[in-house]
Amino acid sequence: MSILLQTEGLRVANRKAAEDIQSSQAATAAVTQLMSEPAGVAKRSLVTKKALATGIPEAEIIERAKEGDGACFEALYSLHKRRVYSLCLRMTGNTAEAEDLTQEAFLQLYRKIATFRGESAFSTWLHRLSVNVVLMHLRKKGLPEVSLEETLEPTEEDGPKKDIGACDQVLAGSIDRVNLERAMESLPPGYRIIFVLHDIEGYEHNEIAEMMGCSIGNSKSQLHKARMKLRDLLRVIRPMRAAGKK
Amino acid sequence: MNCAEFQRDLPLIIDTGGTEEQEDHLRSCEVCRDLVNDLRYIAEQAKLLIPMLEPSPKVWKGIEEKLKDQGLVKPVQVRRTL
Repeated sequence: MSILLQTEGLRVANRKAAEDIQSSQAATAAVTQLMSEPAGVAKRSLVTKKALATGIPEAEIIERAKEGDGACFEALYSLHKRRVYSLCLRMTGNTAEAEDLTQEAFLQLYRKIATFRGESAFSTWLHRLSVNVVLMHLRKKGLPEVSLEETLEPTEEDGPKKDIGACDQVLAGSIDRVNLERAMESLPPGYRIIFVLHDIEGYEHNEIAEMMGCSIGNSKSQLHKARMKLRDLLRVIRPMRAAGKK
Repeated sequence: MNCAEFQRDLPLIIDTGGTEEQEDHLRSCEVCRDLVNDLRYIAEQAKLLIPMLEPSPKVWKGIEEKLKDQGLVKPVQVRRTL
């Protein structure tokens, strides 16, 4: 049992710890980037730089942004743009769409920030807002997020290839970030969205079901299929990359 | 328990853990063991993907322009401790 057991508590704790680390990394990266910008760019961000470099707590930056302080809003953009953009890009698999959606997410943030009451972490709140922006966009495009007739039962085609000779192709230790990002781009949109939300962003199946208007079983089924598809893709990508290096 | 029976319950096994019978099968079957290890490895690697992707500068420019167009932006307030 211990080999396979994966407790939900641990997942939640890991997610919170990851958020703290990401928030801290984002703040450090934003300050570093702003302090090293060329003079022309730096002029525009002068007040933002001061807001970040003087160590004003994010809570105060948020309060000032709520009052309409443009510099503090820009500071929030600098702190959170990577996370929002990464989410948009991974969910859509398209750079232009991801940039448009990042822009839309921050425009919505500007309009809605006064409603932020601090009941959750700001990053969590902004993240949820961004996910909703992407999902709304995908609905307008008519892309299938999840198929309503999906069930938790895997079908024959979802099963692994019963290829005994493939035992030397286990993935352990062989996936790098580039491979995984590339394989994710090749996933069907419905699989990709669930995989990103669950395995990368750390949402639970009940949260995903609520956001996407599907059943929890459906979310689980899509996630399983996404992982199986990724496994197949990674087993192809890896030999291709190895051959390319020769 | 055979491979088909084991793999039918795979989403549940990955999510919440396996029964004793499933654990027994896992220990004896290399194909299913590799499969479970791969799926768990993919999930673990996904958690390590950090949001390091950087949007182009035109994204912020677009935000600024739209805020101005919609009359939402207020003058930058250089004040207090800033």
